[in-house]
Amino acid sequence: MTVGGLAVGLKSTPTRRGKRLSPMVYLIIAVGALVVVSAVRTLSDATDLTSSGTVQAALTAAVPLAMASLAGLWAERAGVVNIGLEGMMVLGTFGAGYAGYQWGPWAGIVGGLLFGVIGGLLHAVATVTFGVDHIISGVAINLLAPGAALFLSKQFFSNAPGGGQKQSPRIEDAQKVTLPGFSSWLGTIENKHWFFVSDLAGVLRGITTEISLLTLLAVVLIAATGWVLWRTPFGLRLRSCGESPAAAESLGVNVYKYKYYAVIASGGFAGLGGAMLAVSSGQFRDGQTGGRGFIGLAAMIFGNWRPGGLATGAGLFGYTDAMALRGSNAVHALLLLLGIALIVVAVLQYRSGQIVLSGVAAAIGVLFGWWYFSSDQVPAELVGAAPYVVTLLVLGLASQRLRPPRFVGEPYRRGQAI
Amino acid sequence: MSTEPPAGAAPAVHLTAITKRFPGVVANSDVNISVRAGTVHALVGENGAGKSTLMKILYGMQQPDEGTIAVNGKPVSFGSPADAIRAGIGMVHQHFMLADNLTVLENVVLGSEPRKGVGLDFAAAHARIKEISDSYGLGVDPDRLVDDLGVGERQRVEILKVLYRGARTLILDEPTAVLVPQEVDELFGNLRDLKAEGLTILFISHKLDEVLSVADDITVMRRGTTVASVSPEDVTARKLAELMVGSALPVPELRESTVTDEAVLSVEGLTLVGADGRTVLNDISFTIHAGEVLGIAGVEGNGQAELVETLMGIRSPTSGTITLSGKDITNESTRHRREAGVGYIPEDRHRQGVLLEATLWENRILGHQTRKPNVRGPLLDRRGAKADTERIVVEYDVRTPGIDVNAAALSGGNQQKLIVGREMSGAPILLIASHPTRGVDVGAQAAIWEHIRRARADHLAVLLISADLDELIGMSDTLSVILRGRLVADHDPATVTPEQLGSAMTGAGRED
Repeated sequence: MTVGGLAVGLKSTPTRRGKRLSPMVYLIIAVGALVVVSAVRTLSDATDLTSSGTVQAALTAAVPLAMASLAGLWAERAGVVNIGLEGMMVLGTFGAGYAGYQWGPWAGIVGGLLFGVIGGLLHAVATVTFGVDHIISGVAINLLAPGAALFLSKQFFSNAPGGGQKQSPRIEDAQKVTLPGFSSWLGTIENKHWFFVSDLAGVLRGITTEISLLTLLAVVLIAATGWVLWRTPFGLRLRSCGESPAAAESLGVNVYKYKYYAVIASGGFAGLGGAMLAVSSGQFRDGQTGGRGFIGLAAMIFGNWRPGGLATGAGLFGYTDAMALRGSNAVHALLLLLGIALIVVAVLQYRSGQIVLSGVAAAIGVLFGWWYFSSDQVPAELVGAAPYVVTLLVLGLASQRLRPPRFVGEPYRRGQAI
Repeated sequence: MSTEPPAGAAPAVHLTAITKRFPGVVANSDVNISVRAGTVHALVGENGAGKSTLMKILYGMQQPDEGTIAVNGKPVSFGSPADAIRAGIGMVHQHFMLADNLTVLENVVLGSEPRKGVGLDFAAAHARIKEISDSYGLGVDPDRLVDDLGVGERQRVEILKVLYRGARTLILDEPTAVLVPQEVDELFGNLRDLKAEGLTILFISHKLDEVLSVADDITVMRRGTTVASVSPEDVTARKLAELMVGSALPVPELRESTVTDEAVLSVEGLTLVGADGRTVLNDISFTIHAGEVLGIAGVEGNGQAELVETLMGIRSPTSGTITLSGKDITNESTRHRREAGVGYIPEDRHRQGVLLEATLWENRILGHQTRKPNVRGPLLDRRGAKADTERIVVEYDVRTPGIDVNAAALSGGNQQKLIVGREMSGAPILLIASHPTRGVDVGAQAAIWEHIRRARADHLAVLLISADLDELIGMSDTLSVILRGRLVADHDPATVTPEQLGSAMTGAGRED
């Protein structure tokens, strides 16, 4: 349900061909989720659950994840599994560090994008031209990229002012914008701590105050991806390569070419994600990505290979990330929230006939509830693990009715159409 | 065939002296076909007669070594399917080329999308598809997901795809292979509509009844060349089949009785309750003697598959006993049953019979992986297996370039002959044959029948399950009918007619 709660915050579901749920239903779900979150906030007295600060932090954390999952979307829609996202993100962080400290944050963004493209190109050559297993190529990139980034960082940053062997000099942050007037008024309401109203104000304030231009860029890119992939001939051809390359080829679509486009774009988006990470945290650091490429992939799967879905997924992970940053009290409240969410999942799964799954979800949900009520704090060691635990639970329990591209991960050789 | 067509009515497609060689084989030699515009022209021939190669040449997927192609009187040369499409030729593949997760509209317009700016013009595409669908009576809804469509609808989407690209000549490669009879009728209705609109259809098939009912002209291919052009009024299905095979048709029949009184397989009260609690097999009892063929007739899905799987030890019966040569094998594993002398020709050769991506000699080992000549001690005996595969290839006339090719390289009939040869190896005492000649051509069919006859004379007991009633009646010493998991009637194959058998199979003529 936190998912729905954040859908309010993100408002970036561009290409919903809503057959089953109308926008009204989404709104009702979102409002319902916010009510639950407010209730938990009131009960646990953890104001961080819906404070504008949390929402801001969640957005900052979500943006690189969203870019990583967008990168995954591009590749997988064309039938190529890109588990090398993590490596391409690492390349992006270095590119951003190198260009960013010399010529400013936007140069850093472009630098990261170009470095990501190099990684994407490598993956495309291996998987498309040479038919290497996608996982093997991706793992190779994941092993190669951090080494390369560290080597380059020693070469270029050791002697730079403020740099070191494992980090770049400082990069200026990108500009931030605030919706004028609105923000302070919402802040007043937020501080009243009224049930629901203050929570809504907190969320709205979070998404209108001090928003980085990078976040806005991410929103635009998600929407643009949806339009390009689903509403243009280019996108249709690209997706057909992931659904049925034989059919595409029999209709004169150059499957290799579109796979190249897709994987290179994928590398570019991953690099962009790395760059945003580096720019928003002020510098390149070794090991900065911390598995975000993989979580991005998870967010994409959670989002059912759709831009709106992956944005929601990235928002969810960003939110838990923000909670982990807020410390143990917030994570403690998160336990209760997670417990409630799992019970809801259990009810939904039960109604759709998934008895076993429902039982597992209910059991874990009860466990979380019990944990919440029988303790006052979550051990500090576990706080950092919260985003990963949520990833695991979400993937295990929610990803049951997905529709991945039919031919994703399968090597395709030209001439199979015959 | 090379007569000058009347002025103003050049043949839609005219192939002259087409020859195509592949390393080691001549797929087409001196092929001549003339397809009149606005007709349905059928191309018939056995599997491996070169029909598919010819169509690939016509569709630009392969280039001929010799010969010329003329479309509407103009000579053309196709380097790729795109060239053929431009010349107005479209192909409906036997295996559909559709992306399941895309909508009908997306599948149809893919590769030649109407544009509005950089975007796809969905409205125009929608209107165009609707218009084509309506004018040819295809009844296709552009907005549905292909995944939700049935086989017949998918085929109409394929046809629509071709029409959308402006094709005036449609090649349909074995279009009825995947359809149920009612869908076949619908397809033929569509084809007549298309013909009425002036389109030309080239129809590849080896189902002769269908060809006779829909075609205006028929060209017969045999061994890579065209051997006859006939009109459907002048031939019968039997005559056409003889043209295809090049000799008189084989007839399924047994010679003198070889039945002995030595019981090989005795089944007593066999009952199987499925996972859903339904009784799939109900109190089945029968005995097969050495030298006897027991045929089981039945509409598919009445327990035949389950009976075979229970006999093979793939499923465990709920109750009842199975005795092989006096030994109770009810609780034996499949491997032990096979080692005790049970051969098994499965109904679906691709799912159970062969590994398509393994070589012939590796396929020879399957099911005999514990026995000579395939093993020596704990290790596989490659040399022995290969030598024995060579034997099967010769004795069973498996047409293959060698035993090191993958099974996928063989035609269905030759794969089936390999399976029969393998299952007859190691001197079995019982052969369970499920649809042994399904989907094989006439020549292979005759060969398989002959092998079963010979093995029967050598005291093999055979359980024969088939949907081909002529085969059942001709090849069985005893006939039983299975209906809803029960053996409901016995017939004497010497006197029963296919009609009687048919009504017993549906339960209409129950006589117990």
